[in-house]
Amino acid sequence: MKNHDDEIIISYFLKAGVMISVSFLIVGVIILFAKNGGDGFTLTQMSSYNYALAHGIDSKSVSLGKIVSGLSAIDGLYFITVGLWVLIFTPITVVFIGWLSFLEDKNYLYVGMASIVLFNLFFAMLVIPRFIV
Amino acid sequence: MTLLLIALKFLTIVFGSIIAGFIGSLTGLGGGTVLVPVLTLFYGIPFIFAAGASLISTIATSAGSASAYTKKKIANIKIGIGLEIATTTGAIVGSLTLVFIDKHALIWSVYVIFGLVLLFSLIPTIKKIGKEVPPETKPDWSTKLFQLTGSYYDERLRKTIKYHGIRWWLGEIVMFFAGFVSGLLGIGSGALKVLGMDWAMNLPMKVTTTSSNFMIGITAATGSSIYWYEGYINLFIAAATAIGVLIGAFFGAKVLVRISNENIRWIFFAILSFLGFDMVFKGLHLINFLITFSLMIQFFISVIISIVLISLLYYNSKRKEWRKGNEKSR
Repeated sequence: MKNHDDEIIISYFLKAGVMISVSFLIVGVIILFAKNGGDGFTLTQMSSYNYALAHGIDSKSVSLGKIVSGLSAIDGLYFITVGLWVLIFTPITVVFIGWLSFLEDKNYLYVGMASIVLFNLFFAMLVIPRFIV
Repeated sequence: MTLLLIALKFLTIVFGSIIAGFIGSLTGLGGGTVLVPVLTLFYGIPFIFAAGASLISTIATSAGSASAYTKKKIANIKIGIGLEIATTTGAIVGSLTLVFIDKHALIWSVYVIFGLVLLFSLIPTIKKIGKEVPPETKPDWSTKLFQLTGSYYDERLRKTIKYHGIRWWLGEIVMFFAGFVSGLLGIGSGALKVLGMDWAMNLPMKVTTTSSNFMIGITAATGSSIYWYEGYINLFIAAATAIGVLIGAFFGAKVLVRISNENIRWIFFAILSFLGFDMVFKGLHLINFLITFSLMIQFFISVIISIVLISLLYYNSKRKEWRKGNEKSR
């Protein structure tokens, strides 16, 4: 990376991602406690780990398609969901910034390598779930 | 009343995660290595929920502390992204393996593997205690091809240190296993990443720990998305651990740039050996193999074994230092 400002940009992206994520998580937790649960489950059910495990109260029961309606209904569980997904996407943006900066440097070997990493990330996110669920 | 109890439960998880995050960040392990044993052994959380919460929180530690390190330009982003090819591939294979193990009721084996991974990750640590900057080596073909060079400013030594990496291919092989372990156990597997860069590629310790911290997030993001769809993430636990681990990591990062590497290694050696033994015991206890005594006794035996082990090794390393000092004075 010739251009050392990239490191500063990456640093800001990481910080912003974490801050957005944690804000959503904290707001989500507060709503969860204020409403005593979310998405049709009570807090007692969620926090009894073995009950939650046996009854499938986990990330699988939260439908990503319902995020918008969940947020507008002020459902704490969906705020937490958004927080966690922002967290997952935060490091991905870093690889993407790296990819752009390698392209700028005409460092095609590393453009290729960063592309493979991005491919793996999206393969795990979009392709594998179709086969294992 | 019950709401108050649940709030208390939540806060205790946050507290445990703060400690895990602090240690994880100090050592470049990423929090999960401490968090998973803490959640399963002390909070009674089922392994897959512990792994799920841990892996996703690991991203928070990684991103939080990496933002500090990249700004200081210690972490080498280029080398990191290059090695991520192997870690992300490994993470996919690892998390799919956990799915298989979970579906076939073999979870006890993950406890044993977890403990063993912890204990084995100590071996390279013990061997290299006390070395701040790696021994001089000649660059090889991969140094030039993959541009494995860099420099950073060391605050403690007060000078700019130039370095180069070697054996890129060996680094990639170790990184594949690091990714595999990360996906299988729900940890950042920073110890293996450090091993890959420190032992295989001969990079300086500061670059290794900080780059590993930044790589952990990318590896964990890969595994986390598979965990998500498989239902391994309990949102109640994950929210608590993500917040806690992040707070811990924040303080850990503040401390890391100031303390010497030798201290880092002794801290993580002490805690990991205890957690490692206890996890192996718990796994064997689950299938009633060899370990049939109660949890409390398992706990004490692990404490005693690790205290004895650490004292012996600490004594041994001090003796070597003392002998070296003697030779110099002659």
